[in-house]
Amino acid sequence: MTRRSWRSDPKRELWLAWYATVAFYSLYTVVFFVITRIQPPGKPWYSPVQVTEWFAGRHDGLLVGFALIFVLGGLSATALALITYSIRRMSVSRAFAYSYLILYAIAAVPGFLFICVAMTVGAMRPDRNPAVLRWLYDFGFLSFSGTMGVFLVGSLIWMTAILLDDNRVFPKWFGYLNLCNALTEVVVAPSWIFHGGVLAWNGTIAWWINVVVFGLYTGVFIFLLRQMILREDFGTGPLPDLGLGGPAGQVLAEAAS
Amino acid sequence: MKRTTGERIIYWTLPVVAVMWIAAFFLFPGFLPPMSPTWSPARVAAFYRDHTSRVRYSMILFNWFCVALIPILMLIVERMRGMAHRTPIMRYCLIGVAGAAPIAFLTSTIFWLLAAFRPDRAPALTQLYNDLAWITFTCGIPFLVAICFFLAVSIYLDQQVRPVFGRWVAHFNILAAIALVPAGFAGLTLNGPFAWNGFLSFWVKNVVIALWIAVMAVVLGRAAPRGGALVEAPA
Amino acid sequence: MIATASGTRVATAREPRHVPGQPDMWFFVLFESLVFTSYFCVYLFNRARHETAFLQGQSHLILWLGVVDTIVLLTSSWAVACGVQHARAGRYQAARRDAILTAACGLVFLALKIVEWARLIHMGKTFTSSQFFQYYFFLTGIHCVHLLIGFIVLGVLVVQLSGEHRRSQVVVETCATYWHTVDFFWVLIFALLYVVR
Repeated sequence: MTRRSWRSDPKRELWLAWYATVAFYSLYTVVFFVITRIQPPGKPWYSPVQVTEWFAGRHDGLLVGFALIFVLGGLSATALALITYSIRRMSVSRAFAYSYLILYAIAAVPGFLFICVAMTVGAMRPDRNPAVLRWLYDFGFLSFSGTMGVFLVGSLIWMTAILLDDNRVFPKWFGYLNLCNALTEVVVAPSWIFHGGVLAWNGTIAWWINVVVFGLYTGVFIFLLRQMILREDFGTGPLPDLGLGGPAGQVLAEAAS
Repeated sequence: MKRTTGERIIYWTLPVVAVMWIAAFFLFPGFLPPMSPTWSPARVAAFYRDHTSRVRYSMILFNWFCVALIPILMLIVERMRGMAHRTPIMRYCLIGVAGAAPIAFLTSTIFWLLAAFRPDRAPALTQLYNDLAWITFTCGIPFLVAICFFLAVSIYLDQQVRPVFGRWVAHFNILAAIALVPAGFAGLTLNGPFAWNGFLSFWVKNVVIALWIAVMAVVLGRAAPRGGALVEAPA
Repeated sequence: MIATASGTRVATAREPRHVPGQPDMWFFVLFESLVFTSYFCVYLFNRARHETAFLQGQSHLILWLGVVDTIVLLTSSWAVACGVQHARAGRYQAARRDAILTAACGLVFLALKIVEWARLIHMGKTFTSSQFFQYYFFLTGIHCVHLLIGFIVLGVLVVQLSGEHRRSQVVVETCATYWHTVDFFWVLIFALLYVVR
């Protein structure tokens, strides 16, 4: 692509946002799983002494990893902007788009801010009272996994918009996948109750199976957003399919019917 | 016909908010000079015992008005409608981070207020609240960095004969974003320029925020509302 | 599927449907089945490790209550299937009655479940009292959430069958598919929790 055409490409804002989204989720995964190693989560049944050891074992990773999120976490808004845009492109009321925009703007706070703060404060003073360290540990993990409402309602809003949409922005099966994702928020609720077992914040059901569902969901929507950008014709009617070759293909299909 | 009724009112709340924030900033005894992370729990507890009233009143003031910049940010979003963008995506990015930004500030005021609420509690707990407040306040910058970044990108993408904001505003925002970055690393050290009371994490960060507000206020005042240059992308 | 001027979907002659209802719903069924299967595997794995404790827990369940639950849901599935057939034949009034019957069966099931839960909680068997009952309340609970969603789906179905301009056989069959899934999951839960001892 020549520089001239990139400059005049009307979709470049969308592509910038999409690449930023991919960058953000990649960073997020690397920070949470590799640098800080807080996912898979620490065990909820740890004694204060074990929690102190947990923090000690991750001291540098926690501080550096979360510093990166403190600086770059705002990139998450690009995903939110793209999804809001996709809902706006649908044939449903703008209320759906604006609801989603607000919900996921808020989501950043339990989504990464609290756990970053809790774990940074925990790691910065290794000689802190172990009982206090365990409180920070609880605060971090529970605020991260257990704040379910935003994502539950947000997914339901996106699902409803997709199922009602006549513009075929997203396939209907993705609407149903939103329901699956919303249900993971129901399944994680018992993590507020159990200190161990399959429904604890690190449990086989409440974490492992949930993360598989969430991971799939995220990968799928990133892919579908890309498809949407490719298909976008800046109109208000149904989005043309890729295979039919855009607007020309749509005309052909209609003529053939 | 663009509706701009009331925008002047929003705009002129800015000096009022600025006065409130500056007053609160000077009233809070922990900013000038900034409290050190190296203080022992006993010293932290003593601080809250000795300055209880000033902490409380300044933080109440901050808590009332921490969201006060939202209308100004939304004015900027409104001016962005005049940019030569094909889609509203940059405005959505900005709204997204504007929503979250005050929550970080709000949370830190809560922690400071909690620290001052029972000055005679165990010093280790008071130190905890103090740490939570300072880390949230200093490191809770992702949304501010993003505001500067998204605004800069929006301006760079606004390629028309008379852009809404001058290109220098974009350069300024990029520099502001870079200047805010060190504050994100405040958790890594208890002393030095990166610590929460250090030159980079405290002075540079807060001066840059103040400067950003001042500069954007002037720029906003000069940017008149107008229709879209290319196809107007309605939100 | 071609969008006509009025916005309704018309299946073209060149697109024979291979499954009843939206294929997308079958994706959902498949995905949720996988998720539920993983829950069941976790249950069975843990049960094998603590067999006596689980058996002890299971002994507090009333088998015939589970059987009644199953019969009620199977009846509801039969009702919704009749509804689909009636709708296909154009007998929308009858189909609507079937849909309402389905919902009624669902409500009966819900009432029975609440009674059963109340009884167990009264006996001291709660979500947190033992491993078995953690699984019991979790599985029956998440099933109930699917059932509650099912009521919304049935609501959509009734709306489809009531208003003339909104009728779509595809949506009718899609709703029915969802309800059958709710029934299907219950049968599996019943087998695992009540029967397998």
